[in-house]
Amino acid sequence: MPLRLYAAFIYVFLYAPIALIVFFSFNAGRYAMDWQGFSLEWYGKAFTNPIIVKALVTSITIASCTSIIATTVGTLCALGLERMRGWLRQLFDALIYIAIMVPGVVIGISTLIAFVTVFDAVNPTLEAIGMVRLQMGLWTVIAAHVLFNLAVVVLIIRARLAGMDRSLVEASEDLYATPFATFRQVVLPALMPSILAGLLLSFTFSFEDFIIAFFVAGPNTTLPIYVFSSIRRGVTPEINAIGTAVLLTSLTLLMLAQFLLRARTRSR
Amino acid sequence: MSDDKIITPQKFMDELRRFQKGSVTRRHFLGVTGLGLATAVLGSAVPGLRPRKAYAALSGTVNLTTWPNYHSQENLDAFTKKTGVAVNMNVFGSNEEMLAKLQAGSTGWDVFVPTNYTISTYKGLDLIDALDLKQLPNYDVSTQDQRFTSEGTIDGTVYAVPKDWGTTGFIINTKNVTQNPKSWKEFWDLTKGPLTGRVMVHDYQLTTIGNALKYFGYSFNSNDEKQLAEAEKLMLEAKPHLFAINSDYQPSMRNGDAWMSVCWTGDATQLHRDLPEMQYVIGKEGGEIWTDYYAIPKVAPNKEAAYALIDWLLTPEINAKEVQAHGYPSTDARANKLVPKAMLDNPILYPAQDLLTNLEFGAAATLTNPLRAEIMARFKSA
Amino acid sequence: MASAPASRSKAVTALLVAPAGLFFFFLLVLPLVVVIIYSFGARADAGGYAPAFTLENYANLPARGQAFFNTLTLAPLGTLLTVLFAYPLAYFLAVKASPNSRTLLLVLVIVPFWTSQLLRYYAWIMILGSKGIPSWLAYLGIADLRIINTPWAVLIGAVYGFLPLMVLPIYVSLEKLDKRLLEASADLGADSWRTFRQVTLPLSLPGVATGSMLVFILLMGEYILPQLLGGGKVFFIGNALVDLFLQSRNWPFGAAVSTALVAIMFVTIVVYMRFVLSRGDVRRAALV
Repeated sequence: MPLRLYAAFIYVFLYAPIALIVFFSFNAGRYAMDWQGFSLEWYGKAFTNPIIVKALVTSITIASCTSIIATTVGTLCALGLERMRGWLRQLFDALIYIAIMVPGVVIGISTLIAFVTVFDAVNPTLEAIGMVRLQMGLWTVIAAHVLFNLAVVVLIIRARLAGMDRSLVEASEDLYATPFATFRQVVLPALMPSILAGLLLSFTFSFEDFIIAFFVAGPNTTLPIYVFSSIRRGVTPEINAIGTAVLLTSLTLLMLAQFLLRARTRSR
Repeated sequence: MSDDKIITPQKFMDELRRFQKGSVTRRHFLGVTGLGLATAVLGSAVPGLRPRKAYAALSGTVNLTTWPNYHSQENLDAFTKKTGVAVNMNVFGSNEEMLAKLQAGSTGWDVFVPTNYTISTYKGLDLIDALDLKQLPNYDVSTQDQRFTSEGTIDGTVYAVPKDWGTTGFIINTKNVTQNPKSWKEFWDLTKGPLTGRVMVHDYQLTTIGNALKYFGYSFNSNDEKQLAEAEKLMLEAKPHLFAINSDYQPSMRNGDAWMSVCWTGDATQLHRDLPEMQYVIGKEGGEIWTDYYAIPKVAPNKEAAYALIDWLLTPEINAKEVQAHGYPSTDARANKLVPKAMLDNPILYPAQDLLTNLEFGAAATLTNPLRAEIMARFKSA
Repeated sequence: MASAPASRSKAVTALLVAPAGLFFFFLLVLPLVVVIIYSFGARADAGGYAPAFTLENYANLPARGQAFFNTLTLAPLGTLLTVLFAYPLAYFLAVKASPNSRTLLLVLVIVPFWTSQLLRYYAWIMILGSKGIPSWLAYLGIADLRIINTPWAVLIGAVYGFLPLMVLPIYVSLEKLDKRLLEASADLGADSWRTFRQVTLPLSLPGVATGSMLVFILLMGEYILPQLLGGGKVFFIGNALVDLFLQSRNWPFGAAVSTALVAIMFVTIVVYMRFVLSRGDVRRAALV
């Protein structure tokens, strides 16, 4: 019983700040945490504010590209590493751990320095031959985000591969299935849950990231950058409205996924 | 030369009356009086007469990089309504941060608001454009208060146009602070003593180091190593007693977490307006007086919109509304005429002359002095 | 002839890992090498980097001693507190909660992750500020308590922010626990504390190890948390770094601090893996 009470306490701890955010998104007043009565006006304002909408679109674009690229590249890499031995494999192992270990702030700084150095070196030539100058943009953020998430995906997929039943693969090979057919019909379905987990995780990490984008986003404003800037100048309930809307959307998606998974399990 | 091209005053008045009575058309009136031609020529220069299609070419967003609590949202909304250009506002805590971001490249800023002493550095690093004054018809150098506006012009070329001026003093919540401090000496002593945990200083080397230098009576702009070492010692002693190091102090002052903070004119106006117990003090040893400018980065992606926004904000009527919203005095005499008298009499905006005489404008060398940057960083990480 | 399939298989392997290899090379190895080169450079007059070869930046590291100290004390402490708070919840979810409500309760642990981290910390500024918890405590006679902008606020934020990351791996390792083991232990007369100590705890250690490593790594590089809940007063290396790049514009020194931070993490984690993860079962699970 005390354990149950403790769990309840933790849930309150987890949800009290969120409740505050949601509650004050309905605030009629101008200052986020100064209650002036109920109003939905900030929802209207938030979704007609072109800058917020653009920041949201930017964040979704970055997170989608990041999660798709990181999951694809990471899955391929994990599959390849299964077939590798020797020093090259150890090198990859080391790189994966370093990628996870290097803090976001250092990734942001080091990629910024590297990008700036490369741009300075390359741009005069590019301009001379009449091509577009390279500069910071969505692609620099996506590249830096992929790096971090790639390593996470490799670890997730690998754990699954390690726990996989080899006999299925062998059976498939005994039945003269081509390696690709084996992959498609046996390995891929078995990996699916971890691939989905990888997608979901890398999307979340990328969507939430502030510090890497802060350094390499160039002129682009992602949602976290916008929120950080707002916190510095005093949050209006507009931001709370956006936060609440994002929360609701992801909750819906999460429940939908849960529902679909259940339906599939039942139909088996 | 035919006579009908020259119009006598008498004939002009006659035509005007006929026009007013409606017996001639506007076209005829403008034609015979020659005003039509004049209108066409002046049209591009006189903002009120400028054809609206100048704005029609504008699009997208304009990125305005500025300081906290520094613009009237209504004015920016009106600009968007008029031009279709959305204003994206970024706020910063220090000129160093602005410079660093701009130096790192591709910021996407269209307009930013540097302080007087930084403009020569921006120009020296080739980071800002000389301004095309033809695109700023609302900027009139003859109505500017020259005491404040010289640093935007370098070697006769205008690189930045003044936004407003102000002072850097401190704000106290008199409900909690009863000691009636008048000097920077008292500011720091109270911080280390009775007001421990309730005081904020800026996350900005110029004002934080500068006002620590004032404790000893040194120049606000001192780059002398020995004097800076004394200032650093004071700052490090005070650090454990501070509530926060943050240039955006209004939220904490308003909710009662902080009772005293280094403060700029406009924040003091805004706080005092809402909470009369908030009092602004200019340290009697002196401190900073400054002017902020509008400037356009060399790499601004939307320069047309940048000019349009600056010009809009410099329109006397709009500028006067800005002053009433942010509470910093304007450098433009035309705007001052439109500001309510109570504001012109407000000692927060216009401190007594004897307090002003001790104040110093920031010096360019403080921006790039590595020692100052390092002292600030050591102070923060201590 | 016999080597043809083998070399083809090698080519496939190479193709599989090549994209990842390119990412690692261009976005990890190359930038880190550039940072190391910069760390031996000098600050340009107006800020930035000027080529040079000097060890001065490393000699200067003690100037950020306090930031290193804060990070190296608060990050492990935050990790420890997160374990202490997360463990009972993970145990409850895995062992005590009814299977019906378990999924829902688990999802509820993850959901906060889906609201902007920045906004949640902003909410904590309100909760810990003097109009929040301190004002309620004043009713109880505990006057003038300051939490916001102290190391305590940063620790609360750490536990809050990283609790879900800790609960999940512990839950996963506890879930594998065969409940019959617990019953057997009870049947053999062990009291519940002993059962926990001798059966449950060892089995859950892999999860604890994984979660701790994750949280520790993230805390070591924090910028937002000390910035928002520490009020610019509780300074982590992450904050020192951002300032070096975005205020002092001392890129070479920033590069040296970055290199030192990465080196410290590298050593800590290698040592950690040696001692904590050296048990076979722990290592396997830690890879998840």
